[in-house]
Amino acid sequence: MIKIILTLAVLSLAPMFVGVINKVKAIWAGRHAASIFQPYYDLLKLFRKGEVISTTTSFVFEIAPSINLAAVIFALLFTPFPYIGAVLKFDSDFVIFAYSLGLAKFFLVIASLDTGSSFEGMGANREVTFSTIVETAFFVLLGTLAFITNQTSFEQMFIMLNSSANYTLLIKLLFVVSLFIMLLAEGSRVPIDDPNTHLELTMIHEVMLLDYSGVNLAFMVFASQIKMLVIALLISNFLIPLNLPITLALLLCLVSIFLIYLCVGLVESLIARTRISHVPQFLFLMTALALTSFAIVAFFTHGGIK
Amino acid sequence: MDLFLIGSLFFLFGGIAVIFIGENYKSKIYIVFSAVANILALPAVFNTLISGESYIWSYIFSFPIGKVNFVLDPLSAFFALIILIGSFLASCYSAGYMKMYIGKNAQLSAYHFFLGLMSTSMIFVVVVQDAILFLISWELMSIASFFLVTFENEKIEVRKAGIYYFTSMQIGVAFLIAGFAWISSLSGSLDFNSFNEVFIKYNHLSIFFFLLFFIGFGTKAGFIPMHTWLPRAHPAAPTSISALMSGVMIKTGIYGILRIILLMDIIPASLAYFVLLIGLITGIVGIANAISQHDFKKLLAYSSIENIGIIGIAIGLGMIGKAYGNDLVAGFGFLGVLLHTFNHFTFKSALFYGAGVVYSQTHTRNIDLLGGLAKHLPKTSIMFLFATVAISGFPLLNGFVGEFFIYSGLAKSFSIQNIGVSILAILGISGLAFIGSMAMITFTKLFGLTFLGMSRSEFHTVPEEKNNFMLFPMSILVVFMFLVGLSPITIIYLLLKVLPMFSPHFTLSGYIDLLSLINSITISLAIFLLFIVVIYNLRKLLISKRSIKKFKTWDCGYQGVTSKMQYTSGSYAHPFMQLISKLVPIEINVEKESALFPKEASLKSSSLDVSEGLIIQPIISALRKFMDLFSWIQSGRMQQYIIYGLIFLLVLLIWILGVEL
Repeated sequence: MIKIILTLAVLSLAPMFVGVINKVKAIWAGRHAASIFQPYYDLLKLFRKGEVISTTTSFVFEIAPSINLAAVIFALLFTPFPYIGAVLKFDSDFVIFAYSLGLAKFFLVIASLDTGSSFEGMGANREVTFSTIVETAFFVLLGTLAFITNQTSFEQMFIMLNSSANYTLLIKLLFVVSLFIMLLAEGSRVPIDDPNTHLELTMIHEVMLLDYSGVNLAFMVFASQIKMLVIALLISNFLIPLNLPITLALLLCLVSIFLIYLCVGLVESLIARTRISHVPQFLFLMTALALTSFAIVAFFTHGGIK
Repeated sequence: MDLFLIGSLFFLFGGIAVIFIGENYKSKIYIVFSAVANILALPAVFNTLISGESYIWSYIFSFPIGKVNFVLDPLSAFFALIILIGSFLASCYSAGYMKMYIGKNAQLSAYHFFLGLMSTSMIFVVVVQDAILFLISWELMSIASFFLVTFENEKIEVRKAGIYYFTSMQIGVAFLIAGFAWISSLSGSLDFNSFNEVFIKYNHLSIFFFLLFFIGFGTKAGFIPMHTWLPRAHPAAPTSISALMSGVMIKTGIYGILRIILLMDIIPASLAYFVLLIGLITGIVGIANAISQHDFKKLLAYSSIENIGIIGIAIGLGMIGKAYGNDLVAGFGFLGVLLHTFNHFTFKSALFYGAGVVYSQTHTRNIDLLGGLAKHLPKTSIMFLFATVAISGFPLLNGFVGEFFIYSGLAKSFSIQNIGVSILAILGISGLAFIGSMAMITFTKLFGLTFLGMSRSEFHTVPEEKNNFMLFPMSILVVFMFLVGLSPITIIYLLLKVLPMFSPHFTLSGYIDLLSLINSITISLAIFLLFIVVIYNLRKLLISKRSIKKFKTWDCGYQGVTSKMQYTSGSYAHPFMQLISKLVPIEINVEKESALFPKEASLKSSSLDVSEGLIIQPIISALRKFMDLFSWIQSGRMQQYIIYGLIFLLVLLIWILGVEL
């Protein structure tokens, strides 16, 4: 029951955290900040609007946002909450987690190709190109996690990880940093993508939504907000120490997610966005970190390669 | 004679019978025969799969063959199931697809005869347990498929592709003959069962035996570097044949490898590593080449190579499990092999069938000339969409289920606690993810550019779906995709007697509770489906009172949008191809006249298959150089050849006399 309440809490808090990022950016830039609840107003406004649908599009364009949102919420059900665990869990559930996020992306991409717009085609091919790097690195991380803990279920992995030997501190650090890069990439934030850019040529995620309006746009935006929070929640699992009272742990989880979003806001304020052609190099950092973590674990587990 | 064998011969009977029937009715009569074949043969197949009892029929033939065992054990039955259903669907599809050749002086009799021969010989391949008859069936299968590939033999590229295919098959079979000859000379018998003793007795040689068979069977399956025939033969063949070859025939190669693994008692770990790595390379190179293709049948051919690679990873995983005595890993590995074999049959056949509908309506295979077909071919496009989602391995459809068990097995192999296995496992997990994400590029491109957006060229006739014979096989396959995707137990139930052959203790309630795992998957997927339905209806409810306007695509205020401005197959793949330019280099030829006024220019981009250039071409050119040394023998003069014959006879005479003396 508490898991379902927490899941609903995640769903309802997802837009607020995006508001946090905007707030941080505004304060850093010395602007008067919009309320952190602004994303809710935006979503509500979209929900109340009608839609304009391109005459070029087919059935795919209309169903894609629903599938996208459903897939992201489905992935959320497999994301464990610290101490409490995930709503759905079974052996190797990390595969279904990653692949349902993949399905969400698949429909986002084909929906953008459905409009026949060259801008959206551009966004689509960038999205799929960058996701090859991120997804591969993510699976290296998941494999390493399975390797350290000898477990294959998300929930069990984190329980084992948090209760095992000391060298995992370094591993945790590597995991947190590489998942943070994934958060930036999947959440389409600076330095990979800039959600505030006004030039279609430089967009990735935003440009794929160009033709969406009304409820469908709201679904797409909401889905990407949830996706970001899901990854942040994953990261927070690495940050919560063991043996705390459950309420304190949950509070700490909330605080850590808040800090993660704060970091995203700071990154956006401090770092310029990379050139599109240099984005892969930045993303390979995640691959490198993931492989390093595997190498360290392999070294320790087998007592060095003799 | 048993009903199963009669049933499998019915494909051939059908092929012979339609020779005497008018062109318009050939395909329809053939459907009847293939349906009868299924009705006769399927009961035995299901009985074997469910009860686990093998059927054995022994026949004694005259001299060169001798006593032959036909054995329908669970492994054979599983492959026979795919062959039977696949052949039936191909016969239905032919009735629609071959219509365009009626009245055009095409060899439709030959087509149906070889289709029948191919189906029958494929079934014989999986039930014959005797080296000679196996090789005969294997060769008949290759010859029949060769004639089917070269159906449109008036085109030079088809003839070239056909000969390339046939040569590849002959090279493959040479390795098989070598393997069978060697092993049966050691065992003194041609029966497969006697080979088992050879593998145990000559344990140190088993690596060489296995490699011979792996190359031989791998050529049929399409493992890199023996894959080069697939991207040539598939575009050349009629689509019904491409589907049958890609969905069913290449799986006989997988069957062969599995059979050899069964006969080997002890599996050296090095072989397991080798197979897993070859699978990984095959998967990555296959799909990386698929991304850059403009011809959708060539794209699908490369994607078949990728899927064979995934199956290879799973075979390697199963072998690792066996080599290290870990039944759980072995079970998950071989479960992955069998599931992905079946799944690939469903979605790849469906994709080829869909591609055939597109080809029959637009007469082009070039993605750059297509687009917007979803409006003209609604049923095809939605079934094609399901197949692309399935082949990309996403949940709700069956592709996910197979890959799930492979991932799961790889993650479990860390418990073997061996550094080599752990490194391979992480390579396998990340490699599968890499393959999966590249598959997403490939299939968003294939579906998005072919069926969505605006049409990139004008069609002479408006494409339409008028032939239910072509839609029927696809819809059956989509049903399979959803059935296995949503409730994997349906297919795993049929595999419960096959798996213990590989991993003796692997049952539904063995090491881990497989049944409850499968149930949890099904329940989760049901929840997912519920989410989609609820959210979709929520949107309907929300917009029911709002206005829905139709307007053209927003292009930042620019009003002169044309279909030529859309992304093309080359430009869509470009950013990714730049990343992997070492693996798959793109050759771009630009022809441009520089003058004051613009003139006609052309640009042609094509990708190079590096694995072919690096491995196959050097071998061929070295072989050619070596053979050139003997070219003086071939003078073309009859007198000289007669002299050769006489010299040969003389040498033979001297030798025999010498032996007697």
